[in-house]
Amino acid sequence: MPITLKAEALAKTYKRKLRKPGLGAAFRGLFSSEEEAVHAVSELSFALERGERVGLIGENGAGKSTTLKMLTGILVPTSGKLEVLGLDPFRQRRQLAAQIGVVFGQRPQLLWDIPVQETLSLLRTMYRIPKSVFDVTYAQAVERLELGPLLPVAVRKLSLGQRMRCDLAASLLHAPKIAFLDEPTIGLDVSVKEQVREYIRDMQARFETTLLLTTHDLKDITETCDRLLLLDRGKLLFDGSMKEFERRFATKRRIVLELERPVSDAVSKELAKEMLELGAELQECRGHRAVVVYERDGAAPLLTQRLLSRLPVSDIVLEKADIDSMVAGIYRRSAGHAESKVA
Amino acid sequence: MTPSNASRLAELDTLRALFVRAVRASFAYKPALLLSMLSAGFAYLIPMLVWRHIYAARQQAQPISAQALFPYLLIAGCLNFAFAMNVEARIGQRIRLGLIATDLLRPVDFQLAQLAQALSDGLFNLLLVLPILALAFAFWGPAALPHGGAALAAFALSVLLSFVILFAVSFIFVQASFVTYSGYGVFVARNALQQTFSGLSAPLVLFPPGLRAVSEWLPFRHTIHTPAAIYLGWLSGAAVLRALAEQALWAGGLLMLGRYLLKRALLRFEIQGG
Repeated sequence: MPITLKAEALAKTYKRKLRKPGLGAAFRGLFSSEEEAVHAVSELSFALERGERVGLIGENGAGKSTTLKMLTGILVPTSGKLEVLGLDPFRQRRQLAAQIGVVFGQRPQLLWDIPVQETLSLLRTMYRIPKSVFDVTYAQAVERLELGPLLPVAVRKLSLGQRMRCDLAASLLHAPKIAFLDEPTIGLDVSVKEQVREYIRDMQARFETTLLLTTHDLKDITETCDRLLLLDRGKLLFDGSMKEFERRFATKRRIVLELERPVSDAVSKELAKEMLELGAELQECRGHRAVVVYERDGAAPLLTQRLLSRLPVSDIVLEKADIDSMVAGIYRRSAGHAESKVA
Repeated sequence: MTPSNASRLAELDTLRALFVRAVRASFAYKPALLLSMLSAGFAYLIPMLVWRHIYAARQQAQPISAQALFPYLLIAGCLNFAFAMNVEARIGQRIRLGLIATDLLRPVDFQLAQLAQALSDGLFNLLLVLPILALAFAFWGPAALPHGGAALAAFALSVLLSFVILFAVSFIFVQASFVTYSGYGVFVARNALQQTFSGLSAPLVLFPPGLRAVSEWLPFRHTIHTPAAIYLGWLSGAAVLRALAEQALWAGGLLMLGRYLLKRALLRFEIQGG
């Protein structure tokens, strides 16, 4: 597959003014001010192939939005090399804009005071969308995102969920080669999120769009992406497939047991000791519930057998760690590492 | 202290805190604030100089009659109203809130897109001005009418060029918003210069010689004085063509300068918000 986007040692450093509290400080600030350098992105290198579906995740302030701004050409990098669809995003911003679609979840893209239909019609002219493409993308957007009743309504009258659906439709109307979606499901309820994900998947598959999506809702990633980029304090912590991510970070598994009746403390203590010998941990054994956590591959059958023989089990569930807990664990470890370095 | 007094004091404390935060928010855009202060002083000083000059010259022969002055002031006022295009306020607001990102992500020339928007503002304002013009015709009769068909055609072209000049000047000033992150101070500065040197408050012929010389070197006179002078027949023949050519040159040059400055501004611009 051809490379559509290539970033090499990309970096962005901002200067941020430090403001002290109080009225006196505000007056003094007129004559002097302090600044600090913020390294929003450092030494970021990765490439995307045509049609790839990639999730970009990271904590608040990790550098996700800054990265997207540089990739789309609206922010000039401090250093590094960047090529998107064979273009220099900053110097050839307009040419690039014609070929990409962008959603900034927190910035409305539609014209505020006119009906949605008018903006979509304007975009058709602006992007010179061929009729054959427009007929498909427009119909898909109206049907999949249920835009019909919203088309004659002024954008300012729409709810957040309605506006986000319209924004997404507007950004994919010209069947872009790359779609940069920055938090496309922010503030949406569960059913609208599902609708949005389904639409993104459909459009991506239909036009073989390269997808780069940032989000804090990791379900967006698991349901629409095959590859993950994990940013932490502006640096790339992980770049690989979702399977590779799970292999590396989803090490902990759980056996959750439902008990017919509570067991005595003595039984519980004995079981805890036994589990430790088998390389597992009895995390909880209270009332009608017991939870065992283990890491070793292939340990489940033996552990299950032992638990069934020791406890009055009425039901049993084996769970893998979900992506939220994996990512939270990575952030915690990374923060701990940074603190220990400072110390 | 009684409970009601304590409650009032707490409310006063809240109001004080609100006031402090509001002042801090205003001071957050320091260059814009300083620019506004300078511009405000300038805007009040220059008209004072003009009117002092007019009163000092009262005993001499007047360079312009009252009969000619009032239609001029009317046309100038109407043009000024129609030219209120809010370029600085609109772009400044979008820069401050980070919404400019969506404008820059369109496959369209940013400057020309803004010109199209400004033209729609101008057209809207022009419609609002028409009833005032109709009243003026009723009141002054022939004195308020254009000086012939050719003057009317030249006036229409001149108004269009004036509009482009004013837009281009505003666009140049708005580049400062990419540094100050506020459109207000920039608007006040541009507005002060434009209102002073365009001939809005008085025809340039009434200006003190020093100020008149300065206005000759600036583009602002072409936004109000030139179209008004064409409309009223103060310019004719070759002088009209020369004025139109000057306007076209200013318009083209200023648009080019604005494009260059935008490129420079975007190099150091940081879009606000995550």
